Parts: sequence; C-alpha cells; structure tokens
Amino acid sequence: MHDHSHDHGHDHGHHERPATESELRARALETLLVERGLVSTDAIDAVVEYYENDVGPQNGARVVARAWVDAEYRTRLLSDGSAAIAELGYGGVEGEHMVVVENTPDIHNVIVCTLCSCYPWPVLGLPPTWYKSEAYRARVVAEPRRVLSEFGLELDPDVDLRVWDSSAEVRYLVLPERPEGTEGLDEEQLAALVTRDAMIGVARVEAPAGTPA
Amino acid sequence: MSTTLAEVDAQLSGYAPLPRANGELVFDEVWHGRVLGMAVVLLERLGIPWSGFREHLVAAISQHGHPAGESAAEAYYVAFLAAIESLVEAHR
Repeated sequence: MHDHSHDHGHDHGHHERPATESELRARALETLLVERGLVSTDAIDAVVEYYENDVGPQNGARVVARAWVDAEYRTRLLSDGSAAIAELGYGGVEGEHMVVVENTPDIHNVIVCTLCSCYPWPVLGLPPTWYKSEAYRARVVAEPRRVLSEFGLELDPDVDLRVWDSSAEVRYLVLPERPEGTEGLDEEQLAALVTRDAMIGVARVEAPAGTPA
Repeated sequence: MSTTLAEVDAQLSGYAPLPRANGELVFDEVWHGRVLGMAVVLLERLGIPWSGFREHLVAAISQHGHPAGESAAEAYYVAFLAAIESLVEAHR
C-alpha cells in the first residue's frame, strides 16, 4: 500500500541545499569506481534512464490478445482479473485487485483515479503524464464524452459510457473491442495492435493499415 | 547494458525490493537512482550475480534499519550504498 497523500516524482534533489553525507559518499564511490575503470558515468546514466522508463504496456497487450483468441480465457479474465492476469505471469507487488471491464458495441469503459494516480502498472507500465493530471482526473468524471472526444474518440450517444475510479485496492483494465478485419492475425500480431490508451479506454484499437474493413 | 529491471526485481523482491509507489521506482534524490545504476553497471563489469550483491544489501538494510526522519527510499538507498561499498571492499 502506498501513500496516497504525496505525489512523488523523479525531479527531487535539484533544490539548492548542501549535499547530505550519503550523497557525498555516493559521489565519492562513483568517482572511485570510475577511476578504477569499473563503471562509466554514461553507463550509469543509461541504466537510470532505462529503468525509469522500462515498464511498458506490452503485458496488458498480451492479456488483451489472449482474451480475443481464447474465449475461455476471456471468461476467466472478466470474472477474476487478477487470477487470469497471473496465469500469464504478470502481477503486482502491492497486491492490488485487478478488475477487467469489457468494451462492447453498446458499452464503453474508461479508467481514472480521481484521488491520485492509481494505475494497473503491472500490465500497463508507467502512467502517462495526462493520466496523473488534475484536469483528466476531474473532467473524465464530470464530462467524459467531451474528454474522450478530445482524445479523438467519438462515441455514439446511445453507447453506455462507464467511468471506473481506481483505488489502492482495485485497479481497472479495459478489454477493448477486437477490430474488424483482424481474423487472420495470430495472438502476437494482435498484441502488437493493442495500445496503452485503448486499455485505459481513451482510444479504440485500430486494425492495421491496409486491412479491409 | 543487458540487465533488465525485471531481472533486478526478480533477484531483490522477497529480500529487499526496490522502493516503489504505484509501480514507479521512487528516487527521492538523484543519487538514489545513481547508486542503483552504479550497482547494475558494476555487477555486470565484475561478473557478479545479483544474489552475490543481495547478501551485502540484506546485511546493510538490517544494520541501517529505518531511522526516524528518513523516507523509505532514503533508508533503502543509504543501505544500498553501503552494500556497494561492502561489495567493492570484498572484491578488492
């Protein structure tokens, strides 16, 4: 369980203040290791940057693709998201419960965390900046159709639009509709079509270019 | 650079998991991220498995504890730093 009250980031440490003892020790160690030829500053930079951006939405895309090709998996996914996602080897270290909500021609789901930025990160990776913005968090509840329209997603007025508010205990994942014209694609090819935004619910999954509609 | 974050997680979770909030690594200070990067590069260079580093880390965490006034990430990375120092000392 993490602290809801503070919005952590990666930009701390730039304030003007004397270096702490630990910070000086870290710098001294880096200098020593560089001098010994054991590390380079560039290599450390690369690791830090890579790790801060490492987790992507590919796990969620594989879950979605499996559900599209395997009806029994889809049923399990919708009845117990955490267990079905764990079948593919994905899960959270925080123990949050995963609930998967399915888009259909009549129902469209979108996820948000109005309180902070709870997000199904084991399957979607790091949340996009806009997901954490106060504007999205407030407006997707108050005027979801307009927000989706700004994302380029126009819904028919008779589509039932459902907004799911995540929490530390429950994280939602949208199972998007499989696009038409993708019958010939295998699971891996399908997974490559599934975007992070589609699994948040602010976009549809598009068929690959050149696919007959 | 070939060690993925998932591999580091797999080696440390259950013993001394990297501090996270909502899935994101928490670096309260720039040097927190740098000591993690330092360990990754150093272990690759020396050919030491993470299980070898983990012993030093678990011992350092046990010794440092979580002093009042330190954030969880600060306490973790102070111990992490001590663990690298201890590993380097052991492989002089």
